[in-house]
Amino acid sequence: MRIFLLQRYTAVALLVFLTIHMVVVHYPPGEIHFSNIADRLENPLWKAIDIAFLFAVLIHALTGAYMVLTDVERFDRFKRALAGIAVIAGVLLFIYGTQTILAF
Amino acid sequence: MTNKKITVRIQRFNPDTDQKPYLQDFEVELAQGMTILDALHLIKEDLDGSVTFRRSCRHAICGSCAMNVNGQNMLVCETPLREKIDKNGQITIRPLPYLPIIKDLVVDRSSFWAQYQRVKPWLIPPDNVPEKEFRMSAEEVAALNDAEHCIMCGACYSACQVIALNKQYIGPHALLKAFLRVLDPRDADPRARLDDLDKGDGVYRCHTIFNCIDACPKGLNPTKAIETLRKLAMKRQAFEAARKERQKTLDKPVN
Repeated sequence: MRIFLLQRYTAVALLVFLTIHMVVVHYPPGEIHFSNIADRLENPLWKAIDIAFLFAVLIHALTGAYMVLTDVERFDRFKRALAGIAVIAGVLLFIYGTQTILAF
Repeated sequence: MTNKKITVRIQRFNPDTDQKPYLQDFEVELAQGMTILDALHLIKEDLDGSVTFRRSCRHAICGSCAMNVNGQNMLVCETPLREKIDKNGQITIRPLPYLPIIKDLVVDRSSFWAQYQRVKPWLIPPDNVPEKEFRMSAEEVAALNDAEHCIMCGACYSACQVIALNKQYIGPHALLKAFLRVLDPRDADPRARLDDLDKGDGVYRCHTIFNCIDACPKGLNPTKAIETLRKLAMKRQAFEAARKERQKTLDKPVN
């Protein structure tokens, strides 16, 4: 139940984050320049939004992958290993992504 | 005037002699009002007595004759043959998919019945059984959403993509039965039922693909039942308390 709920909650969060992301990053008013983007990413509020976005993406993707893989009966005995891999991958990717966001 | 001839393609498989299933064609004269089951009977009686299939009541109530016709699960006893003939004048009949084939159109339903038993499909009566009768309201009966009409034919079970991957999943047929018992105000143990359904192979394994709804010959909605069970599983403590309260007045008339 916890994994199912985590996936649903992050799906709702992603709807919000993706809308913001598409409007601000891909279709902003005016031209897209590196300097504009760098200025925006310096803002602590944007850093917080991007870190939360990264967190939601990772939880949603990894819980989804875990659920899809455990749907297959032959993977049933590897449930713990799959969960372990998902947690480790999640932590590593979160650290890596956060470093990129904080670099600005 | 002679009747139109059509080709009935039947998947054959004899585990004693065949390496893998194959399709065999039979020419059948299309008669007025003929069902697919009628065509199978005709083939078995007149053309090849070794064609093997399950059937019993011929009135869409026993659930024996669920098969896959032109890629869709259905009861062949209630399906007119004329409706399923394709533009080449053919109809293809295969056994229910994702289940081990015993012979030709007969499949092994052991996993289907094992999951059915798992949900304890019987009513667990409360301690205070009324002297005369249980009294349910019209709303309580309506909430069961006709789930009691399920004839256990297996069409939904074998159409489910999760079952195709994992036979440990309870399956839409048994979850529909569990829904029937959990929502029945006479049942004394909805909490234990919901505890079991909340496990890894229970209600959260459903991916709402809706194949079970498409396949059900009785027009039932197992997906909606599963969604209801998910919600109840999340608030099972409150649900159990409400059930105990309700059972105090089960012998009283309701409005």
